[in-house]
Amino acid sequence: MNWNTWIPLFVVASSLLPGLIIFGLAEDRVRLRVGLNLVGALAKLGLVSWMLLGVYQGEHFEMRLAFLPGLELVLRAGPLSLIFVSLSTVLWLVTTVYAIGYLEGSPHRSRFFGFFSLCVTATVGVALSGNLITFLLFYELLTLSTYPLVVHRGTEEARRAGHVYLVYTVLGGALLLLATVWLYTLTGTLEFTPRGFVHGLEDTHRSALLIIFVLLIAGFGVKAALVPLHGWLPLAMVAPAPVSALLHAVAVVKAGAFGIVRVVYDVFGVESATALGVTGPLAWLAAVTIIYGSLRALFQDDLKRRLAYSTISQVAYITLGVAIAGPLAAIGGVVHLVHQGMMKITLFFCAGNLAETLGIHKISEMNGVGRRMPWTMAAFTVAAFGMIGAPPIAGFVSKWYLGLGALEAGQGWVIFVLAGSSVLNASYFLPILHRAWFREPPDVWPHGHNAGHGISEDLSGKISVNISGDVGGKETTWALLLPPVITALIALAAGVLAAAPFSPLEWAQLIAQREFYQP
Amino acid sequence: MSDLTLNVMLGLVVAWPLLLAIPALHSRLPRPCYLALLPAAILLVLPGEASLAPSWVLFEAGLAINGESRWLLAMCVSVWVVAATATTPPQRDVARDHHTLFFLLTLAGNLGAVLAADLVSFFCATTLMGYGFFGMLMQSGDAAARRAGCIYLICLIIADLLLFEALLLAAFAAHDLQFSTLPQVMAGTAAAPTYWWIVCAGFMLKAGIWPVHLWLCASYRSAPQPAALLLGGVPVAMGLLGLVRWLPLGDVAIATLGTLFQILGVVAILYSVARFFTCKDLTLRLAWIIVAATGMFIMVLGTGLAYPDVWQPYSFLIYPFIAAFGVLASAMSVVIRRIDDRRQSTGVVSAQTDDFILRIMRSMDRMRESMTGKLSRLASAWHTVALNGIAGLRGMCQCQYLLLVAEKQLQRWPVAMTWFVLLATTVALLAFAY
Repeated sequence: MNWNTWIPLFVVASSLLPGLIIFGLAEDRVRLRVGLNLVGALAKLGLVSWMLLGVYQGEHFEMRLAFLPGLELVLRAGPLSLIFVSLSTVLWLVTTVYAIGYLEGSPHRSRFFGFFSLCVTATVGVALSGNLITFLLFYELLTLSTYPLVVHRGTEEARRAGHVYLVYTVLGGALLLLATVWLYTLTGTLEFTPRGFVHGLEDTHRSALLIIFVLLIAGFGVKAALVPLHGWLPLAMVAPAPVSALLHAVAVVKAGAFGIVRVVYDVFGVESATALGVTGPLAWLAAVTIIYGSLRALFQDDLKRRLAYSTISQVAYITLGVAIAGPLAAIGGVVHLVHQGMMKITLFFCAGNLAETLGIHKISEMNGVGRRMPWTMAAFTVAAFGMIGAPPIAGFVSKWYLGLGALEAGQGWVIFVLAGSSVLNASYFLPILHRAWFREPPDVWPHGHNAGHGISEDLSGKISVNISGDVGGKETTWALLLPPVITALIALAAGVLAAAPFSPLEWAQLIAQREFYQP
Repeated sequence: MSDLTLNVMLGLVVAWPLLLAIPALHSRLPRPCYLALLPAAILLVLPGEASLAPSWVLFEAGLAINGESRWLLAMCVSVWVVAATATTPPQRDVARDHHTLFFLLTLAGNLGAVLAADLVSFFCATTLMGYGFFGMLMQSGDAAARRAGCIYLICLIIADLLLFEALLLAAFAAHDLQFSTLPQVMAGTAAAPTYWWIVCAGFMLKAGIWPVHLWLCASYRSAPQPAALLLGGVPVAMGLLGLVRWLPLGDVAIATLGTLFQILGVVAILYSVARFFTCKDLTLRLAWIIVAATGMFIMVLGTGLAYPDVWQPYSFLIYPFIAAFGVLASAMSVVIRRIDDRRQSTGVVSAQTDDFILRIMRSMDRMRESMTGKLSRLASAWHTVALNGIAGLRGMCQCQYLLLVAEKQLQRWPVAMTWFVLLATTVALLAFAY
């Protein structure tokens, strides 16, 4: 075994070990807990960067561990794995910084950060899985580690949301298990393979493969919040902001969407899936989800609920890109996995800042908040415009490739779905920005902070002085302010520098090339 | 002049105003609105042509300076200098910061559009310019400004969507999105007719050309300075520029579109002249002058589209025309604003005034009074129809209750699962049938 064999395992362990240690820490060991979190996150970032460079140069990273007779646990770093691992790693680091600031002084922090690390471990495991059984194990670990985060506040509402979440995801997991076992009996392997490992069986086992496909999509569709399996997601908004960010941008919905990508590309393969006639209905299901999620978002006054419905809509772009079954659409779908993560995490960080600093939870309470929290709302504005698809922010690149892919595949109707969705996105994001930037602020914010115009004027005039970390009359703390600003800048850079080496777009092109063009 | 200097200046023309738009920076610098124009002014006086298209930027979008764009750059610099001079920044820090921010964002977008060498960079720049200009329109914050801003925003979103679809068609059909080659390449593709129509619709909305001029009139009525001054020179002029750059003028004959443009142009001129004489408001009269001018522009454009041979000998005039249009529109806005201010400050204007412009205005008022109000009645009938449409849309919001009930049902796992099984069964049946 050489060094490259161990790296995937180290990547998983870099968050698992700190997480396990944090569980045993007393509440008052703040520095040690923060140190462990940050060291783990930075170590993971270093290891993933190493793997990125290696895979770019054609190196092979794979770890195999015996699990059951005939089955192994496989961790493998390929282009598709790495795009998801990189997203999780970078966003875990910023979310950790944010969570440290957000939860300062609150109870049960060791429990929170322990499960937080486990959640990231599971996500990275899902991303690096080299076969369906490994994927399934980490996928279930993700369910179990996110449940305590959803119910973290311990309120009746949180418990109800957690219950609904658990019922949905466990049943979804059961469907996945059923499909996995059935698939194994049919094929004798569960190894992810470019162009699918069921390739060649579509004529002899057509009915069985159709049912397996539906079971797999139902199982992954729960976490990916495909309509009508999305009911848990708006309820889970009761969780603290870092958890919402984790659910929507880094871990849970992304794991579901990533699962669908794996099913279409590495289990069935595009050719077999097209031959079975399942990609068309999947594209329609994604289109319905895109429009439905946006329509529902339009009527929400609660900011986090609006963002939750927006997630339902936006994550379905990934499914749509995969289901169109063409190289350009694949690029759009896969790159949106990253782009949506950057933009949505920014929005949730900002929502958390508003709630934590001023007590703002509803859109109707956001009048003039741009004057009180200019940097937070500037980050929110960038992310919201990205979601709408305004150039040159990351969302524009995703929609560009999805649209081109649809034209290439002769599915012009997708263009109308994209246009309709963009109009709806604008309809539910722009009123927020209008309120924040162009309305007069109230005299007192919901938390009771004085919103007097003097503060606003002072803030806008001498911004760098006033946001120095003292919350008394200032924007907010550095730990809460930096993460959304950084992720907003990343979202902007991912759009402007889309053609740069190592950009998400370049990786997505690499993945599409492997799936569609390599012999 | 070395290529490097020109390339650096090209990049700075757009990047510098964007950088200055950061509140922490512009609040510390004296006269940021003038400072932001410095690279553009330098580039204007530097001789030579250059293009900048870094390979690591989004779809290799690029900027270029040549004889044609120099005309427009000169127009931009003069219009923005006048705008910066004619505007008194608000006293309050917050309002001043907002004013400077939107001023600089719109400026960066405007300069980017003028120097854009391809469809993507033009689209990016005009989008930035559009949203920045929306911010400028909303500066006064009163009800009229909000209404005008809302109408402008809706038009902007629809126009951007249309142009995005056109971009996709162009990228799919032609692959090369450079202005210098696209029209010719596009002409030979099956997607060309759709592309032409979408481009026309998108830019007509952006430029406020009759009959989609609603936002233009609403904006003129309520826009504060400097937005009122920039209306003609920025969004309208860039809309016209978009039509020129995105359409195959002088290359391909598009008879239907050309004829339609000619008819629209004639009707726009007649309509706006009639409206000019029937309205009291001076600023609104300026809006009708702009509508008439854009009508004249598309009439000429229609001729170019229908008869490329006729167009070619005179094509070099189009950029100076747009530049002159932008400058004149801004100049007229300044003059009319000053007249309006004088009227307001002196009350009823005395008969002894020797102000030539005011005498003309009074004679126009008399002409207006002598005309019948037929057009006004037509306009009010149109507004009634439009308002009924909006009321219908509001009615659709009632659907949210239905969605809410459905949503609560879907939060129950058995119901969700039943729906999914039904869906899956349908899919499976369809697949089998196929």
